[in-house]
Amino acid sequence: MIRVEGLSVNFGAVKALRNVSFEAPTGQITAVLGANGAGKTTLLRTISGLVSPQSGTIHLDDVALVGMATENIARLGVGHVPEGRGVIEELTVEQNLRLGALSSKVNLNEGLEEQYARFPVLGERRRKYCATLSGGERQMLAMARALIAKPRVLLLDEPSLGLAPQVTSQLMKAIRKLCETQSLTVILVEQNAKSALRIAHQALVLHLGSVVAIGDASSVADDEDLRRYYLGVVVT
Amino acid sequence: MDWWRSLRTQETTHSRFIGMLSLTVLTLVITFFLPPVADSQLAGGAAIAIVVLGLSWLTGWSGQISLGNSGFMAVGAYAAGIWAHHHTSTPLVFTLILALVVGGISGLIIAIPSTRLRGPYLAGMTLAFSAAVTPLAQNFSSVTGGEGGLFFNSLVTPKWFLHLFSGPYAAINANAQWSADLAVVVAGVMFFFMANLFHSRTGRAMRLVRDNDVAAELMGVNLARARTSAFVVSAAFAGIGGALYSLLQASVRPETFPIGLSITLLTLMVLGGIGTLSGAVIGGIIYSFSTNLVAHVNSLTGVNPTSNVGANMQGMIFSVLLIVTMLFAPRGIVSLKTPLRRLFRARPLAPAAKEVH
Amino acid sequence: MSVFLSSPLMHNIFAGFAQGIIYSLVALSLVIIWQSTHVLNFAQGAMAMIATYIGMTEIDRGIGYWWCVIISVVVGMTLGGVTERVLIRPLYGKPEINPIVVMIGFLGFLEALAAAIWTSTTRNIAEPFSQIYFKSNGHLVFLSSFVIFQIVLAMGIMLSVAALFRFTKLGLQLRASALAPEVSRLLGVRVSRMLTIGWTLSAGVGAIAAVIIASGNFGLFPANMDGIFVASFIAAAVGGLESPLGAVAGGLIIGLTEQFIVAYWSPDVAPLGGIIILVIALMIRPQGLFTKNTIRRV
Repeated sequence: MIRVEGLSVNFGAVKALRNVSFEAPTGQITAVLGANGAGKTTLLRTISGLVSPQSGTIHLDDVALVGMATENIARLGVGHVPEGRGVIEELTVEQNLRLGALSSKVNLNEGLEEQYARFPVLGERRRKYCATLSGGERQMLAMARALIAKPRVLLLDEPSLGLAPQVTSQLMKAIRKLCETQSLTVILVEQNAKSALRIAHQALVLHLGSVVAIGDASSVADDEDLRRYYLGVVVT
Repeated sequence: MDWWRSLRTQETTHSRFIGMLSLTVLTLVITFFLPPVADSQLAGGAAIAIVVLGLSWLTGWSGQISLGNSGFMAVGAYAAGIWAHHHTSTPLVFTLILALVVGGISGLIIAIPSTRLRGPYLAGMTLAFSAAVTPLAQNFSSVTGGEGGLFFNSLVTPKWFLHLFSGPYAAINANAQWSADLAVVVAGVMFFFMANLFHSRTGRAMRLVRDNDVAAELMGVNLARARTSAFVVSAAFAGIGGALYSLLQASVRPETFPIGLSITLLTLMVLGGIGTLSGAVIGGIIYSFSTNLVAHVNSLTGVNPTSNVGANMQGMIFSVLLIVTMLFAPRGIVSLKTPLRRLFRARPLAPAAKEVH
Repeated sequence: MSVFLSSPLMHNIFAGFAQGIIYSLVALSLVIIWQSTHVLNFAQGAMAMIATYIGMTEIDRGIGYWWCVIISVVVGMTLGGVTERVLIRPLYGKPEINPIVVMIGFLGFLEALAAAIWTSTTRNIAEPFSQIYFKSNGHLVFLSSFVIFQIVLAMGIMLSVAALFRFTKLGLQLRASALAPEVSRLLGVRVSRMLTIGWTLSAGVGAIAAVIIASGNFGLFPANMDGIFVASFIAAAVGGLESPLGAVAGGLIIGLTEQFIVAYWSPDVAPLGGIIILVIALMIRPQGLFTKNTIRRV
C-alpha cells in the first residue's frame, strides 16, 4: 500500500503538486487522471525519489520514502515504468531484463523464463537490440523489466502512449490481471481516461497539481462534471 | 563626477578611451617609483595580461576553451624574434603588428578544424597544438635557432629617456623602466581594443553564441564563423603578448613556452575572473609578483627555495588556486566581496557570470 | 622470411605497434571515463604517473617487480575513485568547461608535486624483461622479450576490460549507468557508485600503461605521460571518444603514424602527425570514425 499525505512539489515558482493526499491499496489499481501539466508524472517521480517534495510524506506500508535515494526505493520493491518506457536502446532485450533483475534477490533464469512466458514476443527477440523494437514491444519490455524484480508496487506512466487502440486494450487487461494475481499495488497515470477507468479500482483526478476528485473508478467515470471539465472525454 | 561614472560604466568609445588612458598613465606613473626588478616583473605581467585577456575573450565571451594559447604565444614570439633578429632597425610597432597578424593566422589554421568541436574536444585539440609547437621550433633550427634560440635587441632606450635618470645605476634604471613603460602602453592599447570589442555588435552576438547557440543561429549569426573569429582574435592577442614577452627578454627559446604556460594562463584567467578586463588586469598583476608571493610562502613555511619543494612551490600553489577557485568561486577574484571588487567593478563588463557558475 | 622480419619496414611496424598499443590502453581508459561521466580527464596521465612513482619506487626497497606493479595499480585505482568523489562530483550539472579546468589544475598540481618529492630527473625502473632484440639465423628481428611483454600485457588488459563490460553484472550496470542514468536508478542500480567505479577502473588501466612506459627506455619523470596523454587523446577522439574499439584502433593508427614520421622525417614533427590525422578524421566523420550514432553529444 502506498500512502501519500499532504504532498507539495515546487519547481521554482511553479507549483507542480499542491497538498496531494491519497491511498493506493494493495491489490488494486489506482488511476491518476488529468490533463497535460496536471502533475501526474511529477507525482510518480516524487514517489520514486527522482523529485524531492517541499512538504508531505509518502509511505510504502510503514516505510517513509521521502528523502530516500531512488535506487533504494527501487530496491524496496517499487517498480517504475517511466514515460516513454525508458528501455535502453543500446542494450539487448535480455540485457534490459537482466538489469531489471540485478538489484533484487530473484533467480535470474527463472525470472527470464517467467517473463518470456508472459510476453512470448520478448523471448523471440531476446538477443535483439532494443532500438529495433516496436512501440508495443518496448512497452512490454518495460513492464517485464519492472516485473522481473517481483515488485510490490508498480508505477506506470502513460503506458498507452503511442499504442494502437487494440494494443492498449490488451495491455490494460494484462495490467488488471497482473494486479489481481500478484496482489500488486498499481498506480496508473493515464491521459487516456477511458481505458484506464475501465480497469481501475479507484481513480484520482489532478488539476494544476491539486486533487479535484478521488473515489471509485465507476463513480468518477459516472461524474458528468469531472468528465466534461477535467478529463475532456466521453466515457461510455 | 561624470568623469568617474563614465570611467566605470564605459558605455561609449570615448569613455573607454579615457578609462584605458587613465589606467595606463596611472601605471606609467607607478613605474617611476618601482625598483628596476619590479619594473621588469611588471613588464612581463603586462605582456601576459594581454594574452590572458585574449583567452578571457575566447572563454568568457564565446564559450570556447583553449589550452593552445602558449602555442600561439610561441608563434608570435618567433615571428617577431625572427624578424627582429634579421632586421634590427625595424620600428617596434611593425614587429608587434607582424606578431599580431601571424598569431591570428596561426589561430585561423587551428580554428578551422577545431571550431566544429566543442568543450573537451577543442581543449584536447589545442593542447595537442601547443605540445607540437615547441618541437617544431626545435626541428627548423636554421630559422628558429633550435634549442639555443634567437637573440635580438629591439628595445633600445632612447637618449632623452636616459637623461631623466642619474646616479650610478642610471642606465639600468632607465632600461628597466623604458621596457616596462613600453609594455604598459602596448597593453593599454590592446585593452582599449578589447573593451571596444566587448561592447560591439560582435561582442553581443558572441555572448548569444555562448549562451544559446540555437537562438544565435535563428538570428542569423553564422556560428562557425563567430567561433572561428573569436579564436582568431584570441590567438592574435596571444601572438602579440608572446612577442612582447620575448622582446622584453631579448631572446626567444623553445623552452620559454612549455605546455605548463597554458595552464598558468588558464589559472590567471580563472583567478582574475573570466571574461572581464579587470580580471585580466588582476591576472597580470598576479603573474608579475608571483615570484615574490612564492618567496613569501617559502619563507613562511620555512621551505628552502632552492630545494625541490621550493622550486615547485609556484606550480603547486597555482594549480591548487585554480582548482579551489573553480570549485568554490568560479567567477574569480572579481566576484569576491573584497575591497578589490569596488576598485575594479565594471558593471556592464561582467558577462561571464552565466557560463561559469 | 627472416630477412623480411629484419627489414627497416618491419622494425617500424613493430615499434609503431608497440607504442600504439600503449596509446590504445590510455585512450581506452579515457573512453571509460568519458562514457561514464562525460568528462575528458586531462589529469589521466599525471594520475598514472603518480601511481607509478609510488608503486615502482618501492623496488628500491627490495620489493619484487610484480608486487610493485600491483601497488601502482591499486594506488592508481584509489586515486581515480577519490578524484571522482572529491573533484568531479561537485561539478556534475555545471558547464562543461568547469571540469576541464579543474582537471587541468589537477594535472599541474600532480606534476609539480611529483617534481617536488622525486625531482624532475628521469628514473629508470629495472625492466622485467630484456630489451635486446631477438636474432634469427644471424638477422636481428625487431622484437624483444620486453616488447612482447608490453604487447601481451596491454592486450590482456584490453580484453579483460572488454570481458568485464560484456559478460559481468558490474559491466552491465556500468554500461546502463552511462547510457541511461535515470532509468538505471529506477531499476535499483547505484549509479553514483558506478561513476566512482568507472573512474577507479579507468585509472587502473591508465596506471598499467604508465608502468609499462616507465619500465621501458622512456623511464619515469613527472611529465613523462604528457606526450602519451596528448597522443592518446587524439586516438580516442579519432575513434569518437564514445567507442572503446575506436580508441584501440585510433591508438594503433597514431602509434604507427608517429613511428613512420620519426623514421622518415624527424621526431620533432611527430606530434604534428597526430594532429593532422585528427583533422583528417574530423573532416571525414566529425562524430568520430567509430561512433555509430550521428548525433554527437556535446
